[in-house]
Amino acid sequence: MRTAIGLLFVALLVSGATSPVDAYLKLGTPVDGRVVDVTWRTPIRYFVSDADAGSVSANDLRGAVSRASATWQAVPSATVRFEYQGMTASVPGMVDGRTTLGFLDRPELDRVLGATSFLIDTTDGAIVEADVFFNSRFAWSVSAGGTPGRVDLEAVALHELGHLLGLSHSALGETGLTGTGGRRVIASGSVMFPIAMAAGTIVDRVLQADDRAGISDLYPAADQLASTGGITGRVTKHGQGLLGAHVVAFNPETGALVANFALNANGEFAIARLEPGPYILRVEPLDDAEADSFFSTAIDVDFRVAYATRMVVAPKGGASAPIEIKVLPK
Amino acid sequence: MHRLVLDGGVMWSGSYAIGDRSAQLRGNAAGASPSPFTLFSTSSEVGPTASAVVRVGFTLTPRLVIEGGGAFGRPRVRAAIAQDAEAGQQQLEGEQLQQYLIDAALVWHLPMRWGTRLRPFIIGGGGYLRQLHEERTLVETGQLYYGGVGARYWFHGGSGTTRGVGMRGEVRANLRREGIDFEDKTRVFPTVAVHLFFSL
Repeated sequence: MRTAIGLLFVALLVSGATSPVDAYLKLGTPVDGRVVDVTWRTPIRYFVSDADAGSVSANDLRGAVSRASATWQAVPSATVRFEYQGMTASVPGMVDGRTTLGFLDRPELDRVLGATSFLIDTTDGAIVEADVFFNSRFAWSVSAGGTPGRVDLEAVALHELGHLLGLSHSALGETGLTGTGGRRVIASGSVMFPIAMAAGTIVDRVLQADDRAGISDLYPAADQLASTGGITGRVTKHGQGLLGAHVVAFNPETGALVANFALNANGEFAIARLEPGPYILRVEPLDDAEADSFFSTAIDVDFRVAYATRMVVAPKGGASAPIEIKVLPK
Repeated sequence: MHRLVLDGGVMWSGSYAIGDRSAQLRGNAAGASPSPFTLFSTSSEVGPTASAVVRVGFTLTPRLVIEGGGAFGRPRVRAAIAQDAEAGQQQLEGEQLQQYLIDAALVWHLPMRWGTRLRPFIIGGGGYLRQLHEERTLVETGQLYYGGVGARYWFHGGSGTTRGVGMRGEVRANLRREGIDFEDKTRVFPTVAVHLFFSL
């Protein structure tokens, strides 16, 4: 079995940082010339490191991780299973065959709350091991109602467990520039948005539609393929495909927002695991983060927000006929 | 004297709202439920449409007719976008539904009449509504109840004769329950119909 350390160092950042962003994207690895999803093929057996972080103990971390894992497991349209294996003296980031979550003192990463790294079987994309560290440089909270000035550990654990499951970041959010040139979250449509909510908030303990769609796409429950639908299409500017255009699907009946990117040079996109019904599609440039920090090739962000000229139906058990969404330069 | 009346024609349906909804993101503020951020808002409606109608009536008494029929139309669902800080207001041309209505009604011919050719009536009924989304991939069903007024005009024969041919016009107020609706509310919309009829 060939294995390789996946350099998928996906981090949750605090306000003030510029950050990499992508959609409710899934992590992927190339296998035989195509990109396959990075997923667990077994229940996720994890350990919690026994290191404390200031006033928050390793036992507090175990509790926060337990609640966060229960939140992912409770998504009815997905099949996800975590199994706690016990406390360990190991620290996250070691290639030791154990999936370990724990505090680490990383003063040089002064804007990184936590991050996830992977060991992936490159023959099939299976995750062999994944470690998550929470930066003990920050003031953490495990209070049920949150603590002003402290970062909610359960919310960050929920985000990092999303990565651990194979989800990348979501771009479904709005940010504003700070005085130092960084970004501040105004609002987000996903727990997997890459910049954390303000210290003291606990709202990101609850998954949103984009998160549920993403995890259901990676680990679909038995009836998911038949009971949900997808939307496919292409974003173009002057007739050319637009790589990196962010496409948001809005269900006017449920209010759900689920997003993805046009991921190839033809501008093609696909949004899966949607509740069947009509959707409004909105296309926007990736302007709430530094685009070149995520896409390895240049993407065009010089276009105006646009809507598909008609509503598109996500059919039950299938995908819509492709729709072309034309955008104009700013 | 019992007799059959065959009708066929066109029915125009007015538009009706099917719901307002905002696309909202979770706000970044302390507390368990901070104010959301509105990305944009939508107002949706089923647009006006013309439907083909066929009906069969059976005269129970000289004034009372029971009738059943069906209608087929292709209304569009439309959505208006507003409150988008990065885009202007706009109207989206929505999907085109396939809409079927099967209904039954009682028609009461009023005692007043203008000559032997024109006879007013009131009508009330209800039916089953079936709406197929674009590409026939998803079905919504509902009920329709209606009441209205109209008149028959005989070109040949008359209201007292066995055989005849004429035109029928009517106006209805319709109450629709279920079917495609983003708020699951009961909606009211008007219809106007013009038919040719043959009484046998």
